[in-house]
Amino acid sequence: MRLVGAALYLVRIPFVEAFSHSITERRCSETVVIRVRDDAGTEGFGEGTPRPYVTGETVETMLEALAHELWPAVAGREVPPADDLAALAAMLPQTSSAAGITPNAARAAMELAVVDCALRRVARPMATILPPRRPRVTYSGIVTAGPIERAVQHARRMRAIGMREIKVKVGFDDDVPRVTAVREALGTAVSLRLDANGAWTFERAVAVLDALAPLQIAGVEQPLPRGPVENLARLRATTSIPIVVDESLLTAADADALIEAKAADVFNVRVSKCGGLAASLAIASRAATAGIGVQVGSQVGETAILAAAGRHLAATLPRVAFAEGSFGTLLLTEDVSVDSVRFGHRGEAPLLTGPGLGIRVVEERLRRYAATIRHLPGDR
Amino acid sequence: MDTATIRELLERHVTAFTRAAAFAELEDGKAEYDGFIENVARTHLQSPQLVAFLYALAPPAAAPDLLENLLEETGRKGPLERPHPQLLEDLLVAAGLADRLPTIRAEAEDDLRRLVAEPLLYGTLRDVGLAALTEIVAFEFMLSHLAGRIAVALATHRGLPARALEWFTHHSEVDVRHAEQGLENLATYVGYYGIGDDEALAIIETSLREDVFARRYFRAPKAAEPRR
Repeated sequence: MRLVGAALYLVRIPFVEAFSHSITERRCSETVVIRVRDDAGTEGFGEGTPRPYVTGETVETMLEALAHELWPAVAGREVPPADDLAALAAMLPQTSSAAGITPNAARAAMELAVVDCALRRVARPMATILPPRRPRVTYSGIVTAGPIERAVQHARRMRAIGMREIKVKVGFDDDVPRVTAVREALGTAVSLRLDANGAWTFERAVAVLDALAPLQIAGVEQPLPRGPVENLARLRATTSIPIVVDESLLTAADADALIEAKAADVFNVRVSKCGGLAASLAIASRAATAGIGVQVGSQVGETAILAAAGRHLAATLPRVAFAEGSFGTLLLTEDVSVDSVRFGHRGEAPLLTGPGLGIRVVEERLRRYAATIRHLPGDR
Repeated sequence: MDTATIRELLERHVTAFTRAAAFAELEDGKAEYDGFIENVARTHLQSPQLVAFLYALAPPAAAPDLLENLLEETGRKGPLERPHPQLLEDLLVAAGLADRLPTIRAEAEDDLRRLVAEPLLYGTLRDVGLAALTEIVAFEFMLSHLAGRIAVALATHRGLPARALEWFTHHSEVDVRHAEQGLENLATYVGYYGIGDDEALAIIETSLREDVFARRYFRAPKAAEPRR
């Protein structure tokens, strides 16, 4: 099996409603999808979401990396057997950070496409390489930023669909009344955690977490900006609320530093942010060895492709503290797959058992929502 | 839950729709009309099946209205009536989009298939029914206010004859009554099945969210942007 063609799609699908947090507000997806094709005509799809404030990647750098570094590394080469994730991932050059960019989203997109294609070619499901340990994945709901009334409205909607775990975006002047109001709307039976997206100073984090500790907060994600891990370690020693690291965790080296500094209770592992399934598994493995929990996170506005990858990852890991994503058409006006990946009541979603990633991507929908389409050399 | 609360919520959505940049473009002759027509057809081609589902769940007091609605959707209300999906197909043909008909039919069927196949958001048929009824009532309400304006826009800027726009004129006339009945039916449904007001409002808002009309009728990335 050799890969002979590829196309890149910058996809912008309108959101059903705006999604905002302390750094940005989005009204549509901003995601890059790659479709590869092998010499037998089998196709595979991968996706990555460039986030300048996370990996430093932009749409432009990601398209550039895919077209000029990653695709040339795999084009025309013999693809390893479909059941060997490590060998498939090893086809791609090692990711390294340079000029503030860690090109993990690009790497994740290419890796997923190659894996999807390799599995589809032999009509095997993802369970071949990521055997599931549970029959379903249970997702958390997210309450986005905005006025407190809107946050409460979101919380009520989440409660109406039976979500048992909710994450609230914080990082604003009104964090304490905001979270208090959301807790009141949800009641005490729902697990509640926070995500500051690195918006707090150390002092602000201590003050807010002290004030909110009585509200049974299950975790606080990225309370401080990405920076010296000692700051996170110091905060962790100060608060009883578990620290979840996200933007501080891009690579295995980051994981090692966080473990060494005792700076985290939970790692937020996201397939796009972490550079693909193999890299995500490696980080999760380090977490397990260190006794650190794992949250399988997602990208806002990701399509069914990344959602499917996250589903497989969440299903295969030995222990998952929380899972996020699979909002599907709860957030996107339309998703790109024939089959819905959206979670259902209580956030529960079944395993995806079809070949490859387990979804059927409709390329016409990629074209419909594409802001840019780029056919790479060799593509028909 | 009273009808005034539901009315206020739906009026807010209708206002947001008319303030969307895409709606202004529709009335100003600057829209991508073929895409709009296709989206309208895709949204409503399967309506008879949804109404039939709702009829099955209807509380006794709302059942006659929903049955009448179903008969109208299926063109069985009177000897001269035609099924509403047929009116939508006529619209597509008159707009020169006959070759797109199989694709649009397939998309509408796929929307319904996905609706049935994907995991249910709610834990009871009662709540699923409320979500579905909300969507039907919301569109009836919006069309009773705006179908005439949309028809004028399509006649003026797309050159469609009155006969081709029968689906719109039919809804703008008939649905004034349907829309009012719809509000009553929603309130009746909530009361009959004993859904708390807060819970009902959460389900209704989840069904509508933001820009429910724009996201169905205009699927382009700019659709939901407010007018500048």
